[in-house]
Amino acid sequence: MTRNQIDRMFLSAFVLVAALIAAASMPAVAQDVKEPYPTMAPVEQYLMDRDAEIALARSAAPDAISHDASVIVLTRHGYETAVQGKNGWVCWVGRGWMAMFDHPEFWNPKVRAADCLNPPAARTVLPYAYRRTEQLLAGHSKQEVIAAIKSAIDKKELPALEHGTVSYMMSKFSYLTDSGGHNMPHLMFFQADKNDAWGANLENSPVMGVNYWYIAADAYPQLKSFPPLSVFLVGVNKWSDGTPAPSM
Amino acid sequence: MRKKKVGAIAIRSFALLVALGTAYLGMGKRAMAQGAKTTYPSMAPIEQYFMDRTAEIDLARSAAPESISGDAEVMVLGRHGFETAVTGKNGFVCIVERSWTSAADPDFWNPKVRTPICYNAAGARSVLVRNTKRTDLILAGRTQAQVDEAIVAAVANKEFPAMEPGAICFMMSKQGYGGDSVAHWPSHLMFYVSLTDPATWGAGLPGSPILAMSDTQEHVTTFVIGVQRWSDGTEAR
Repeated sequence: MTRNQIDRMFLSAFVLVAALIAAASMPAVAQDVKEPYPTMAPVEQYLMDRDAEIALARSAAPDAISHDASVIVLTRHGYETAVQGKNGWVCWVGRGWMAMFDHPEFWNPKVRAADCLNPPAARTVLPYAYRRTEQLLAGHSKQEVIAAIKSAIDKKELPALEHGTVSYMMSKFSYLTDSGGHNMPHLMFFQADKNDAWGANLENSPVMGVNYWYIAADAYPQLKSFPPLSVFLVGVNKWSDGTPAPSM
Repeated sequence: MRKKKVGAIAIRSFALLVALGTAYLGMGKRAMAQGAKTTYPSMAPIEQYFMDRTAEIDLARSAAPESISGDAEVMVLGRHGFETAVTGKNGFVCIVERSWTSAADPDFWNPKVRTPICYNAAGARSVLVRNTKRTDLILAGRTQAQVDEAIVAAVANKEFPAMEPGAICFMMSKQGYGGDSVAHWPSHLMFYVSLTDPATWGAGLPGSPILAMSDTQEHVTTFVIGVQRWSDGTEAR
């Protein structure tokens, strides 16, 4: 990545991207930076007007995709289907807790990450999001949620990752992080590979990569035993409405 | 992919279509070839396809950022096929492909075509192996039809592995030559999967940043995503 890209990431990317920077300097972060959101805010702060949430979710992908997608919205107890789609895609608005468990913005109530998942991702990535969200909204601690997810994985209650998982995060209206411009359009790919398999995070590489579960895992060592899951991110030059995005 | 669908994608796509849809995939090549005249009806003297070894290594490496290609294996064209010129250590393989694997039909024998590509390890195992085999056959004197037939048969007989999950390549070189109709192409990444419906990735739909081409005979769907910089970090748009 170029210096400009790194700056841009720090300034304007989704929590995943911000996590890259945090990952690179985790010891310093842990020691020097006070956690900005140490606990969950009142649940109301994470909720949205239902119609607004549907519209925001759909804005993650071009209309040709999101118009026929299912849309799920957040309630007090988890996500529920608001619109039944017909193309296998699912659009939704992720909240801060979909970041890594040790991410500093995990409880940031301002995060609104519009995302449209293709059918393989909807089948095999979204169930993890459902489980995580339901557990957290039920008041369980992060440790308890991690244990519950691990148990569900071991019992095969959660699916193995399918090949060809892609998600679109091209909304102009997302709020991904407190940093800088808060947003950038990109695609994400979920893989069992490690970052080096795609040349991610190297100088001038167009691919960024993070671990789905943690930045450093020091705070939650059980995450190290989770199935490997990387998220690769490739920036694109347009928002979902076709207008040009800032250069990365 | 049905030819009809190839055509639909072509109408909606910008230069990527021309550079990619016609250049890299068999079905695309076949579809575009109909009625096209060629100024390269047969193989040129073999020397015309060769390059200075050092220049070829440099060109191959230019397909990806130096942070990737600097530790990659590099293959160069010899009289009997591609051979390893530099041993790598990160699993990536960089190569300058020639017209018979990387150009549209009118340029099939164009000796000027030079297409730098860096495959990741999964891409090298599942895609590059097909292209090096095709090259071996070409240099052994087979015709285009014979090579196509042999590759398709090899795929059918499972002599080649299926596309591995996560098979990708980088085509971010400022240099290279794609053929007389498409001299150059935008900086991009390619993702290879076993034959699948392009709609699964939203490819080719209005507003989508993804293009796709499917080759039913080789059982491969290739997805293409343009990126914003060349391999040297300069802006590409």
